[in-house]
Amino acid sequence: MGRRYLTIWFRHLATDQLAIRRPELKAKAYLLAAAERGRMLVKACSSAANAKGIASGMVLADARALLPEVQVFEEDPLRTEKLLRALAEWSVRYTPVAAIDMPDGLILDISGCTHLWGGEKPYLTEILTRLRSAGYDVRGAIADTIGSSWAISRFGTITPIIAAGTHREALLQLPPAALRLPIPILDRLQKLGLYRVSSFIDMPRTALRRRFGQELLDRMDQAIGMAAERIQPVIPVVPYQERLPSLEPIRTAPGIEIALRKLLEALCSRMYREGKGLRKARFTGHRIDGKIEDIEIGTNQPVRNIEHLFKLFQLKVSTIRPALGIELFILEALVVEDLSVQQESLWIANNHQHTAIAGLLDRVALRFGAGTIHRYLPDQHHWPERSLREAGSLKEQPAIQWPEEQPRPVFLLPRPEPIKVTSPIPDYPPMLFIYRGEIHKTRKADGPERIEREWWIEAGMIRDYYQVEDEKGQRFWLFRSGRYEDHEPEWFLHGFFA
Amino acid sequence: MNYIELQVTTNFSFLRGASHPEEMVEAAAALGYSTIAITDHNTLAGIVRAHAAAKQCGVRIIPACRLDIIDGPSLLAYPTDQAAYATLSALLSLGNLRTEKGKCELYKADVYQHSEGIIFVTVPAGKLGKDFDLDPGFKQAVKEYNQFLKDLYIGACFSYKGDDGKRLYCTAEFAEEIGTVMVATNDVHFHHPQRRELQDIVTCVREKCTIYNAGYLLYQNAERYLKSAKEMERLFRKYPDAIVRSRQIADACTFSLDMLKYEYPEEITSEGRTPQEELTYLAWKGAKEIFGEVLPEKITAAINYELRFIEEMNYAAYFLTVYDIVRFARDQKILCQGRGSAANSTVCYCLGITSVDPTKFDLLFERFISSARNEPPDIDVDFEHERREEVMQYIYNKYGRDRAAIVATVTQLHQKGAVRDVAKAMGLSTDAIDRLSKSIWEFTDEWFEGKVISDHGFNPNDPHLIKILDLTRQFMGFPRQLGQHTGGFVITRGKLTDLCPILNARMENRTNIEWNKDDIDALGFLKIDVLALGMLTCIRKAFDLAKDHYGLDLTLARINEKEDPKVYEMISHADTLGVFQIESRAQMSMLPRLRPQCFYDLVIEVAIVRPGPIQGDMVHPYLRRRNGEEPVEYPSKELEDILKRTLGVPLFQEQAMKIAIVAAGFTPAEADELRRSMATFKAKGLVSKHRQKLIDGMVAKGYKIEYAERVFKQLEGFGSYGFPESHAASFALLVYVSCWLKCYYPDVFAAALLNSMPMGFYQPAQIVIDAKKHGVEVRPADVNLSLWNNRLEEQQGKYKAMRLGFRQISGIREEDMNILIEKRQMPYRSISSLREAGVPMVALEKLADADAFRSMGLDRRKALWEVAALTDRPIGLFEGKEIKHTEEQNIELPEMSLSEHVVQDYGSTSLSLKAHPVSFIRRELFNRQVLSARELSLWPDGTPLKVAGLVLVRQRPGTAGGVCFITIEDETGIVNLVVFEKLFTRYRREILYSKLLMVEGKLQREGEVTHVIVKHCYNLSGLLQQLGPGDESPDVLTLSRADENSGEVFQATNKKTQVRKVIQTELFPEGRNFK
Repeated sequence: MGRRYLTIWFRHLATDQLAIRRPELKAKAYLLAAAERGRMLVKACSSAANAKGIASGMVLADARALLPEVQVFEEDPLRTEKLLRALAEWSVRYTPVAAIDMPDGLILDISGCTHLWGGEKPYLTEILTRLRSAGYDVRGAIADTIGSSWAISRFGTITPIIAAGTHREALLQLPPAALRLPIPILDRLQKLGLYRVSSFIDMPRTALRRRFGQELLDRMDQAIGMAAERIQPVIPVVPYQERLPSLEPIRTAPGIEIALRKLLEALCSRMYREGKGLRKARFTGHRIDGKIEDIEIGTNQPVRNIEHLFKLFQLKVSTIRPALGIELFILEALVVEDLSVQQESLWIANNHQHTAIAGLLDRVALRFGAGTIHRYLPDQHHWPERSLREAGSLKEQPAIQWPEEQPRPVFLLPRPEPIKVTSPIPDYPPMLFIYRGEIHKTRKADGPERIEREWWIEAGMIRDYYQVEDEKGQRFWLFRSGRYEDHEPEWFLHGFFA
Repeated sequence: MNYIELQVTTNFSFLRGASHPEEMVEAAAALGYSTIAITDHNTLAGIVRAHAAAKQCGVRIIPACRLDIIDGPSLLAYPTDQAAYATLSALLSLGNLRTEKGKCELYKADVYQHSEGIIFVTVPAGKLGKDFDLDPGFKQAVKEYNQFLKDLYIGACFSYKGDDGKRLYCTAEFAEEIGTVMVATNDVHFHHPQRRELQDIVTCVREKCTIYNAGYLLYQNAERYLKSAKEMERLFRKYPDAIVRSRQIADACTFSLDMLKYEYPEEITSEGRTPQEELTYLAWKGAKEIFGEVLPEKITAAINYELRFIEEMNYAAYFLTVYDIVRFARDQKILCQGRGSAANSTVCYCLGITSVDPTKFDLLFERFISSARNEPPDIDVDFEHERREEVMQYIYNKYGRDRAAIVATVTQLHQKGAVRDVAKAMGLSTDAIDRLSKSIWEFTDEWFEGKVISDHGFNPNDPHLIKILDLTRQFMGFPRQLGQHTGGFVITRGKLTDLCPILNARMENRTNIEWNKDDIDALGFLKIDVLALGMLTCIRKAFDLAKDHYGLDLTLARINEKEDPKVYEMISHADTLGVFQIESRAQMSMLPRLRPQCFYDLVIEVAIVRPGPIQGDMVHPYLRRRNGEEPVEYPSKELEDILKRTLGVPLFQEQAMKIAIVAAGFTPAEADELRRSMATFKAKGLVSKHRQKLIDGMVAKGYKIEYAERVFKQLEGFGSYGFPESHAASFALLVYVSCWLKCYYPDVFAAALLNSMPMGFYQPAQIVIDAKKHGVEVRPADVNLSLWNNRLEEQQGKYKAMRLGFRQISGIREEDMNILIEKRQMPYRSISSLREAGVPMVALEKLADADAFRSMGLDRRKALWEVAALTDRPIGLFEGKEIKHTEEQNIELPEMSLSEHVVQDYGSTSLSLKAHPVSFIRRELFNRQVLSARELSLWPDGTPLKVAGLVLVRQRPGTAGGVCFITIEDETGIVNLVVFEKLFTRYRREILYSKLLMVEGKLQREGEVTHVIVKHCYNLSGLLQQLGPGDESPDVLTLSRADENSGEVFQATNKKTQVRKVIQTELFPEGRNFK
């Protein structure tokens, strides 16, 4: 028996996807639009919108004029492609060779698969019913060639299953578009009155080639089966998970550690092959009494160093209660990031300090909680409280340089503390101030530096900042809140200079 | 008080300043400043506004500029006298002209060369460096400036950035070191600290970021506002000299824009005559050429009177300048026609500026120019749109680019643009911005009070949104860019740059000045409008054709010499498709009611179907009075003089303004202000002020209050859309000429009209159908017979036959067809010979699509089959040889039906000479009891009926209260439909998206005017599909029924039919939509 192919056409892939994600859209008129050459074009629309005369390719403004209440979403072709890929991976349960057919179809090589479902008809019904009940509007067709199953799935009107050897006849009455031809060729065929495949399939090949080029012949041959066509099957991505069943239940810490080490070795060598490192991992033990024990670790940067990871886990291994014993260990990498090979060599070679710090930080964080370590980066705000922000990870580089133009204290109080001052008006530095009961006499001062509120974030009073040095040579960052003219000024201390 | 603010950036430094120049000046006046400088970045565009505002509030502005220099720190430049101002303007022009629009490229060497009489101040240095000193690079550059510039000061400002004390000290030290003085400024960017928010927004728009990620691009405080002199003196208390210096600089600058004197160009006179003498000479000379040696007494009197008036007002040079341009156009055989307040004078007629004959048309000159208003005369000249560029280039060449330039238009931000910009800067998503800008009108007072929630779900309690709307309101009206006026030229005697900087326009070979029409008006400069008019192109082409084919020598004036009843008869029957102005649906339905009999009737016709008179409800009273259904009466004797010609109903803008003057006691200037205020701002306050004044004035003079109210309403309509009589008269002349051509030479007219496309209301198909209706034979385009343009061939019946030109074929390029025509010594006999001649494949394919190979005996399908095969041609030795492919002999292409041909004709040329598409589906329509357009005339008023046709035009004029007018066409003619608003909403989809529309409705007939009042609409576009290939349903492949029962039967909607439907219906042109 020759090959058999199943082509599935998702008639409204993008909109179906949206409706599945947001069930409230079901049966509503909505569309997806994207900018193209300076205007918004309708890229896909729901059948409700379609029924009201909206079609893809329309200018969005026209569609809105037609149906003012239509809901508009932004098209995301990448998301659609991702979805198609996922669907192909899903269909691997029906055949090992499943491929995506951009932009809206799947091609499955089903040769020798269908008997498991009791024949082609139940097979097809099974797949399509599953897809339809998931919310996709699909059509499918089975034939001897990819080309003909594609044609029937899109244009067929009679039956979706073309018996072996009859696909050529099945093609005859279809329009040329069924041959997957580009628009210019279709236009020309249309103008010449060649509205069906039958009207030109028997013409001399040279006559066709001269007028329509090789592509028409190729597509014809592929559909008929005179030329081979390949598909690129998808292989599902395997999660980063290692399993270790034990022959006998493990109950001791060394036993657990051995299992952990084995699993780490397997996982790290795989991550090494794929250029990855983990940021978060979970080690799970399945106890024979059916309970599950697990411990989790996190790192500051991607890691696949077995020793380091082992040490991190080791700190927690004692919390595992094996009870009657553990029969299955699973190690999962929950968050995985790219880690190039060069960085790996850094672990071994000279840059010891950096990795040592990273290792130390990982351990400190594990012991005292992640909230105890802070790292700050500059942030583009004039308002002092917002001029810095906490860094996300050790590796994060500052987006901007620390601004050096204006004097900023070494130690900025998280909250300004009120002080009492004696100062001339309207905007001169204080002559003396009292901070925590201690009187500081101003010897030198500079300012004011006036900083306004960031009006788009909050309303409030401006601040006039002064650098002030007292007789002891201590330097402070003080400010007066609000303009002098408006009300009684209040003074605060906000930081200390070195 | 000593301090004068010398550094002011207004919003004419686009996206930098956050206050209008007027606001700056007003704020300065309120703070008690006597003088303020305006220093926009590399431009003087805002100074006229500032100047006008300054005059109003009694302060003085120093027109100045901030020079942003590419290879050095920026400088502030203050011209001390008029010569220095000219130098500065020349410097900016130099920078403008060497780069593209919107930029100015200046180098320090340029500044050194243009420094005479200009006081320079360096823009204050920003921050101190790490070593607490000014930037050494800056110091070095300023040292160099100091060497080359005579009057250089060092600017300094107190910016509240914390280091002001040190910075001022360093600056003062440095100034002393290089032997000059420090001067205080405040780098003003807005007139009030509250504008800081808008300034931040403007910065975000400029830097294309949002307020959330703008970061350090924004200023940390709001100190760059206009501060009081007292505060500035306090801030600079340690440097009182810096304050005094600002006053000294201001005192040294004595130049005021009032000193600019516009002077007419002088090369407009000949033989040493003064302009007045020259004009007198030319006027009499022209008069004698037109009227013969013995002039009619009326003409003599009029010329004498007008010349005296012109002399009194000193306008001779203006008339001569216009005359010069018109004379050039006439020499080049470019048709032109003047219009505007002064254009329809006897003198202009004698000079050939207008062809409106003053003997027949009793227009009083001073009705157009009022000496009291002392406004410059206004002559707009329309030229053929295809050749106007020649006229413009003539002006540039004659006067030189340094003396002639086009006026700018300042593009102001409208609400939509403003809200988009602000919302974007405030970080809204694209979709939200779209929704916001669409629903902006929803934000009414009620919304703000929280009573209504907008349709798009915007919440009035959302502070972020309120902030956006608030900023939008401030941002609206900000200038965003300098555009190019449609054709307003300023021509001067001396250098134009003495008056104003010049810059490059976006269009090639055009130069602009920086000021717009209002600025020019404010300074009393004269401008001449050189405009483009498509109908003139058409008329000129018609004249050429008439000369070639009928031996006629036509001119605008000659056709207008006598009033031909036959032409008026045609007009009265609304047979005006394609003619100038009165071809629209509304005009056509007015014509049979108005039945124009003379030229002045046409003037009225042109003016009456306008939003102004319609909104002012003047159309029906006029019609009733004209038809004698209502007595003609005047509210008073004084108004009778004004309204006599229009039977007591004010129809023209001039009349409306005269009423305000005569009946309400407005001064002419006030009347003008009234008109402007209503045209530009619909600001409530201003209009209601005028309203009260008008009504009070009229009541005081004894008019009834109702009448006064009505007059105001009319004025309101005129304000926005009124049409002046002076323009209407010029237009009416072209109306008459185009009607005359259509009446006597429909062949010539149709060909000329098609050759001037795109213009007017109608598609080529309608023009061709109309020509055929008038007895013109129209022949299809053909490779062996056509030219690029539509041409006339031999006499066929009453007229010459018209051969469609290649230009009617869509997508074809003129160059390709020129090759084809050039090589066509002998008729082409095969398609390959065309290919050999060098016609590209694409063009051949388009020709085949257009069925243009009939003279070779090939229909479009055969031709396309042949063309398609040409991709592989014999090369080398065999080049030019015809190849025979024996195996191709037997290929039979499917025969094409007539309806298929028609469909493809439409696809290629938007028209078909073979048949009308609707004729093919007449049987279906008949079955649905649809009447044809012709049959409508058989039924009485009020008959319920159905009609169907291709949609030609959909119109929803703003004046018609939501009524939609649709014109449909079937094979027998056109039908006019009226759809009321409620039905429009219901049938919106059918109306907007049908190509073939069927309606059910009631016939309404009023004299010759027939409408169908629509009750139901149906989209029959699907029927057009049948015009394609016969749809033999593919039922050959019958597999067992069992397959169909498998639960997998394909659904009825299948993509094949969808695909074809799209291809088919898209061939028919979309009906045109007009607001």
